[in-house]
Amino acid sequence: MRRWLPPTLTVVGLLILWQVYTTVSGIESWLLPSPKDIWDAFVDQRDVLATHTLATTELTLLGFAAGVATGLLVAVLLHLIPGVRAAVYPLLVISQNVPTIAIAPLLVVWLGFGIAPKLVVIVLVCFFPVAVATLDGLGRSDAAINDYMLMSGANRRQLFTKLQWPAALPAMFSGLKIAATYSVLGAIIAEWLGSEEGIGRYMIAQKSAFRADRLFVAIAIIVVLALAIFGLVRLAEKLTIRGRASGRS
Amino acid sequence: MAALEVSELSHSFGSLDVLSDISLRVGQGEFVSIVGPSGSGKSTLFHLVGGLLKPTAGKISIGGEDAVGRRGLIGYMPQAPALMPWRTIEDNVVLARELGGVRKKEARGLAREWLSKVGLDGFARSYPHQLSGGMQQRVAFLRALLADKELICLDEPFSALDAMLRAEMHRWLLDIWEQNRRSILFVTHSIEEALLLSDSVYVFTRRPATVLERVEVPFDRPRRDEVVDDPTFIRLRRRLTDLLTASPR
Ligand SMILES: Nc1ncnc2c1ncn2[C@@H]1O[C@H](COP(=O)(O)OP(=O)(O)OP(=O)(O)O)[C@@H](O)[C@H]1O
Ligand SMILES: [Mg+2]
Repeated sequence: MRRWLPPTLTVVGLLILWQVYTTVSGIESWLLPSPKDIWDAFVDQRDVLATHTLATTELTLLGFAAGVATGLLVAVLLHLIPGVRAAVYPLLVISQNVPTIAIAPLLVVWLGFGIAPKLVVIVLVCFFPVAVATLDGLGRSDAAINDYMLMSGANRRQLFTKLQWPAALPAMFSGLKIAATYSVLGAIIAEWLGSEEGIGRYMIAQKSAFRADRLFVAIAIIVVLALAIFGLVRLAEKLTIRGRASGRS
Repeated sequence: MAALEVSELSHSFGSLDVLSDISLRVGQGEFVSIVGPSGSGKSTLFHLVGGLLKPTAGKISIGGEDAVGRRGLIGYMPQAPALMPWRTIEDNVVLARELGGVRKKEARGLAREWLSKVGLDGFARSYPHQLSGGMQQRVAFLRALLADKELICLDEPFSALDAMLRAEMHRWLLDIWEQNRRSILFVTHSIEEALLLSDSVYVFTRRPATVLERVEVPFDRPRRDEVVDDPTFIRLRRRLTDLLTASPR
């Protein structure tokens, strides 16, 4: 509880400053709406926002799940099949320098306007942190325990399931947390590509109407959504990681 | 047939000669100790016996069978406890059994029984980081014992214990050993410990290690604590101390 108090106070303080500034300076509200304006816009748009938020949440969770699955699969394959890691890993890193926004139109050309290209966008931004973190964790199990396992007759499968995999979990969760945040970002970009509903779609419409207040509402929803998914991952981590490893964040 | 027979064993790490022409024998049900300067290659010898390393030259046989490069034949306690931080104490204790194909659940009962015998009752569900160094050593010791192998290799098992607890563990180890008569190869820095526990003591030289001397310990079993005041004991201790300090470079 104590931990939450200082940041909460900071946010409240900033909001008050913001409110005061907009009131005193008399800045146009279509340029910079006050927190009060934003709140009013939120209340006004509640019902519409609910549908859009639901759509974005669904897309995000689906994409996140697919991205994580892909990331884990890539990590395990690169770890287990000798030689593949050296051949593929550098390419994987280079591939991350291609901005997702740049590939997105191409995906639409290939996959049309359905859910497929949107999922691919999210998978593209999510799988990398998961794959890299997990791969790193798999390769870093304690040497003394590894020696002990070998001398006690552990085979390759046992080494993987009993040592490397559990040892990689803390690293994997670090990757999952990054991917959780990226997944919302990916979903918004995916919706910009063209979609019927979703917060991303809503933002495009509001941008054309110069409704800064509603854009702020959309941003706030994105932040809350990202925090919620992050929280879910954190919860899963707490439930999964036992022993000393749980102390790391 | 000897539990362990090592003959003319040599090992080098690249250009670093560590073991040179080592021959030693642990008879069925015998308790054999090795004392030697730090860095002389005692742990390396265990890694060779456990099949983790292949010797540059020489033979190793366990229970009469060639054991060079063969793993899973010994109960092993490494110098560092090497417990899995994500496993509870009881699950760490059963690890070696589990590798041999026994289900974790089946072995747990036995683990708990033994934990109380080493003064760790109530810690079965704790995690390694909640235990002191000495307690962790006892867990690693049980893990080696419960591997259920004829030959047990203990690498400085009691180095992190205080004098009182060490004496208690000696008593306890001798009790178990006298009841079960497994064959034990034991590395220690303490000459007194070696004399107190063993049937014979091998003294290693500095690196590259050779066997400087093999000393038979003549005392009856079961040994009583007062044996340390026996003139023969004192004479042997003097002799081993001299051998170790005068050990040629
Ligand atoms: N994997 C390795 N690669 C290279 N050198 C090694 C390796 N393992 C051990 N050595 C070297 O071999 C020598 C013997 O090491 P070892 O751990 O066997 O000594 P020790 O007798 O067990 O010492 P201590 O009593 O301090 O535990 C040391 O000089 C060490 O640096
Ligand atoms: Mg050693």
